[in-house]
Amino acid sequence: MPVNETVQDLNLDEYKYGFVDKEEHVFRTRPGLSEEVVRQISKHKDEPEWMLDFRLKALEIYESKPMPEWGGDLSKLQETLEEIYFYVRPQDQMERSWDDVPANIKDTFEKLGIPEAEQKALAGVGAQYESEMVYHSLKQEWEDQGVIFDSIEDGLKNHPELFKKYFGTVIPTADNKFSAMNSAVWSGGSFVYIPPGVELKTPLQAYFRVNQERMGQFERTLIIAGEGSRAHYVEGCTAPVYSTESFHSGVIEIVVEKNAHFRYTTIQNWSNNMYNLVTQRSIVHEGATMEWLDGNLGSKLTMKYPSCYLVGEGAHGNILSIAYAGDGQHQDTGGKIIHAAPNTTSSIVSKSISKGTGRSSYRGLLQVHDGARNAKSNVECDALLIDETAKTDTYPYIEIDEKSAHIGHEATVSKVGDEQLFYLMSRGMSEEEAMALIVRGFIEPIAKELPLEYAVELNRLIELEMEGSVG
Amino acid sequence: MSQAVEGDVASGEGVTDALDREAAEGRSGGEPEWMRERRMHAFDVYERTPMPTRRLEEWRYTDLDEKLDLESLVLGRRSDVADDPEAWPEGVLTAMEEDWDAAAHVVLIDGTVVHVDLDEALAAKGVVVSSLGDAMNDEDAWEDIKQYLATQAVTPERSKFAALNSALFLDGVYVHAPRGVHIDLPIRVTRWVSTAGAAHFDRALILAGETAKVTYIDEVLSEDLDDHTFVSNAVEVIAKDGANVQFVQMQRLGRNVFAHSQQRTLAHREASANTLNIALGATTSRLDLNAQMLGPGSSSEMLGLYFADGDQHFDHNTSQDHVSPNAFSDLLFKGALDDESRAVFRGIIRVHPKAQQSDAYQTNRNLLLSEESSADTLPNLEIAADDVKCSHGATVGQLDENSLFYIMSRGIPQERAERLVVMGFLGEVLLKVSLGGVVEKITREIERKLAHV
Amino acid sequence: MDDTWVRAATVADVPPGTLHGVTVERTTVVLANVDGDVYALRDRCSHADFPLHDGVLQGETLECVHHGAKFDVCSGKATGFPAIRPVKSYEVDVRDGDIFIQLD
Repeated sequence: MPVNETVQDLNLDEYKYGFVDKEEHVFRTRPGLSEEVVRQISKHKDEPEWMLDFRLKALEIYESKPMPEWGGDLSKLQETLEEIYFYVRPQDQMERSWDDVPANIKDTFEKLGIPEAEQKALAGVGAQYESEMVYHSLKQEWEDQGVIFDSIEDGLKNHPELFKKYFGTVIPTADNKFSAMNSAVWSGGSFVYIPPGVELKTPLQAYFRVNQERMGQFERTLIIAGEGSRAHYVEGCTAPVYSTESFHSGVIEIVVEKNAHFRYTTIQNWSNNMYNLVTQRSIVHEGATMEWLDGNLGSKLTMKYPSCYLVGEGAHGNILSIAYAGDGQHQDTGGKIIHAAPNTTSSIVSKSISKGTGRSSYRGLLQVHDGARNAKSNVECDALLIDETAKTDTYPYIEIDEKSAHIGHEATVSKVGDEQLFYLMSRGMSEEEAMALIVRGFIEPIAKELPLEYAVELNRLIELEMEGSVG
Repeated sequence: MSQAVEGDVASGEGVTDALDREAAEGRSGGEPEWMRERRMHAFDVYERTPMPTRRLEEWRYTDLDEKLDLESLVLGRRSDVADDPEAWPEGVLTAMEEDWDAAAHVVLIDGTVVHVDLDEALAAKGVVVSSLGDAMNDEDAWEDIKQYLATQAVTPERSKFAALNSALFLDGVYVHAPRGVHIDLPIRVTRWVSTAGAAHFDRALILAGETAKVTYIDEVLSEDLDDHTFVSNAVEVIAKDGANVQFVQMQRLGRNVFAHSQQRTLAHREASANTLNIALGATTSRLDLNAQMLGPGSSSEMLGLYFADGDQHFDHNTSQDHVSPNAFSDLLFKGALDDESRAVFRGIIRVHPKAQQSDAYQTNRNLLLSEESSADTLPNLEIAADDVKCSHGATVGQLDENSLFYIMSRGIPQERAERLVVMGFLGEVLLKVSLGGVVEKITREIERKLAHV
Repeated sequence: MDDTWVRAATVADVPPGTLHGVTVERTTVVLANVDGDVYALRDRCSHADFPLHDGVLQGETLECVHHGAKFDVCSGKATGFPAIRPVKSYEVDVRDGDIFIQLD
């Protein structure tokens, strides 16, 4: 894979997406989290009584839970949370077509390259700006098939029974402190329903970004993949660089019904001041397949463990995880798979790269319940250390209560081999180019599963990061 | 990693009528003042350290609330059994008979050293094998005891149970192999527990001087006991530059025992400190094993073998610390589980910053022989240096059908074929140990357990 | 009453709508009072083994405070994620103000 651009062309000195929009907002709450804030959010969204009660109860639970003492360093998080704005709403109504989107927002999207993505090949694009779904378009043909791809708020309004049936059932409010926080202040995110038998050939995409200084993001997504359906959901995000902390706490609930196939891809490239704490879980029914493709490249600290609960016979769960931890970053990621039915299979492949003072930690759970006959699972975690100061950890939890299960777990840690580097350099590459190539090769099994534009961005980022990795 | 809490926090947890300051004072009768102070300090640490709960990572899978009832125990008393084989329990004699030649023999009953013998030629070279009680009062040995006992390896600060053992150990074994001395035959220690309903505490301190070589084989056993009994053991191995220590512990206690062994090996430059832990007995068996690679070129091979049946619960908590560069460690723990038994394995490899050129490996394999058995395995890595080779692997599965069919196709009945496959599986660990007597003994024990499979 | 029944608590220890944790014969048990009917479950959430007695009883549903798992107190069956497996339930007999449970 030849490198076409020289290192200078890649605009090293500034973070490519590090720009700020002049702020124009209709409404935002006071900084910090309180009952008043929660009530304002619910009122602004014109929600039914039960949702307000749900949020208030969640606030209580959030306040009663302590900060976790495992994973990353959350010692400064409490202060940060007192200063961020929990809700900002840029405009008053949801837009349906691109032409109607306000100019300054379009401008932001142009800088992010969204018009490139709005192509025939792509179906509806949900774009989130400042906690709300600003823009949504759904291709007519899918609408006709009964596919729902709405903002989470519209999901509640327009499909209340379906919404209420599943909302908060996969990830209950009390699951952890941050799911409780999200349950109190959630705003923005997607509501997706794929009717039985429907197969989507192109992915559903969503972008969102955080703009305002000290803004928190509390996206909530609920996806129901009906029996026998097939779909792929992709989300990626960027954020500008600021000096004070920012915070993102999302909750993603997915139900994959019998024989359905669903993949959720996310590439996160938050700037290095962001706390990114996300709870993602899927319930996988009989014969169904759930795949998580998780790329964690940015943020100051990410704690994220996409999960598959294999509750139906023959269900399959697959987690592919890439993590990159550069200077000052800590990626604490992995996944959880629960085998709770017979003949279920799963695989976790995690590849991480640590550079400079970065630290990447794999944290995973593989649990096989008694009665989950013939469960088969394989976990592979590989870590690549680029510098002397870089760190990596592996914390797998393997709990097996079923005799007929076949479980394997392997982890390796290594650095870039001198012989490999030397060989490539002897073929005319610079040391940076050689490093970038080796690193790309390391993550290739996962990168090849990514949608094209992400793969391209990922490659560029690796090149950027490898600059300065030598000497 | 220390669980002890500094400051004024007095948890008082685990302090009972039997296990209290007076008990620690009582133990120090006949001991030097520095030893008494050491015990009292250890008890202070015990008192203020909170009792581990399942919310503490290391105890997540072993519920102390349900498995250990400290309140119900009396303090194990000194045994008055004579130094005469005729007076020893049948089990002790049988265990020792199955022996091969040894450089020394030590017999303990309920934590009391009742017998020590050492080959004269070795004694002449300055080898010491004695009870800790004698050694701490011995004009030649006491300084080493003062320097090393519970000061570097299994210290009170390491954990609440380490503190308890450091305060209340009744007696134990001290071995010193002076610089350059190679002890070819093993030192054989047989520890018998006879008093049910009591808490028994003993320790071992093995000090190998530069380039010395010593093998220590420890066997702890008892009948099935009628009452809940606690057997606490601590082992400290210090291998100085170029030394080679092989430590083996065979745990064959009876039912109703909660057995806890805390072992720590410190290997200095070019030294190797190897361990083999075999768990077959007790109702709950817990091993905390830590190997420190302190000097360049140091190494530790940590082998483990376990076979649990009935309602046994085995918990192995191991750690490999690569503190210095150029060290090697390799852990292999294999176990088979039958009936409703459960095995927990937690192993961490920690490579400290600047410990470049570390080679560290860890493998845990579990064989589930029955529907109700279960295994939890947590192989962990914490790596802070980049020029390293580290990996770990863990598996859980049942008997390999291919191997089974192959053996059965040779006309061997299924039950026996299953036993052969299990023996093959566990045998991998034993093959790495060139201690004939141990291998035979364990093979027989495993076959005995397998006969009920 | 044969001797496999053990006394766990008094009825006064478990007012209606509440949970009460006890340890009997080295087994931790949670008692729940649903409108006067007392039920007993193993005091270990099947999700991550945390104590259930810290939770909340609403009607016949016990919600574990630690991660929001839900159980039906009458049967021990899991009714809400993250719990999937049931929790062991014990037979209960109330006599003269004392709650007896049958451990096996």
